[in-house]
Amino acid sequence: MDDRRRRFEAQALPHLDAAYNLARWLSRSPVEADDIVQDAMLRAFRAFDGFRGGDIKAWLLTIVRNCWLSAGKATRRRGHTSLEDEELTAPESDPEATAIQSGAKRRVDAMIAQLPEEFREVLILREMEDMSYREIAEVTGAPIGTVMSRLARARATLRETARDCL
Amino acid sequence: MSCKEALQTQAYLDGELKGAEAAAVERHLETCAECQALAADAADLSDALRNATHYRAPDPLRHRLKKELEREVRHSPARRFWQGAASGVGASALAAGFALFVLLPPSAATLSQSIVDAHSAALTGGKTIMVASSNHHTVKPWLAAHAGISPPVTDFADQGFTLTGGRTDEVAGSRAAVAVYAHGNHEVDLFAWPANGAQLPEAGIARGFRMAFWKSGDLNYAAVSDVDAVAFQKFVALVKAQRE
Repeated sequence: MDDRRRRFEAQALPHLDAAYNLARWLSRSPVEADDIVQDAMLRAFRAFDGFRGGDIKAWLLTIVRNCWLSAGKATRRRGHTSLEDEELTAPESDPEATAIQSGAKRRVDAMIAQLPEEFREVLILREMEDMSYREIAEVTGAPIGTVMSRLARARATLRETARDCL
Repeated sequence: MSCKEALQTQAYLDGELKGAEAAAVERHLETCAECQALAADAADLSDALRNATHYRAPDPLRHRLKKELEREVRHSPARRFWQGAASGVGASALAAGFALFVLLPPSAATLSQSIVDAHSAALTGGKTIMVASSNHHTVKPWLAAHAGISPPVTDFADQGFTLTGGRTDEVAGSRAAVAVYAHGNHEVDLFAWPANGAQLPEAGIARGFRMAFWKSGDLNYAAVSDVDAVAFQKFVALVKAQRE
């Protein structure tokens, strides 16, 4: 196999789930997430010679976010994509526990999906991808202070929404 | 949010602060009711968010991507590795690197490279676990039988790191036993291989994965994962503190 492709696959593909998770949460659509990630990975591959070490996960997620921005502007204006087309949950032995759990899952998912984009992205990067403020700043192109205040606003909004729901 | 220190408290809770800065927030937390509430809420929220969906790239997308990359390579003009490497600085750096590689195997750099390679190869290939079990009485003898190495294996489920299994792997040419842990959606690999006097690399980050190395008894250990810094340090501390 081509050396460059082998290196790219070894370094980038382990972060494919993170790329997809971000694309999926930003676009809130499985179809768009597919397109965004494919576009992003190909762009990343073409630009791979310019990647001079450092944090490849943050580098990839930056590209994913840019692809989402450039691809989705028109489609995103359509409004919220429904969360109804969820993938099937794996069968569990205790249907009651599963129902409670998936109910909670759906509520949490809906709360995150309703957050404004700039809050949603910092929350996903911090809480799901365990990224540092510096890494989040790199991906979103926002200063660290802005990352911190957006994160605080995102969390405060979620807490209020949770309170209203209960 | 009215407390001026709230963002700093949040940074502390997110594991962003160290030393004096962290100590200052801890002092502040003793007296500020608002930040105490913030800390309690943050913990609840973190728990709730663990329920949120962590999407995984669907297999069809994975396959399509592989095909696209293949096509990309075929259609791009052939790039000769030596063209870049043979020009000026590249050539001497390459020669120096090559000499080092030959004279000092396995160097610290080779080791850390080897660990990240093994970890990401396992993740990419989906072959992280050869024996799936959360029972250390199953994993430990399996590793002893298959890797010829019997490191202590402990389940840290109560501390957030669930033992999910083990596999055999290779670290810079040595047979290694790997205990595999899950932390939320993330995987933590704990490598163990016979200490052969090679110098161990410093802890650090490579290709988005955190790594730590240490020696204990006659085994070398390496932990590798993409969890955050706080969780990673906690895991390393747990492993180092475990009893044989």
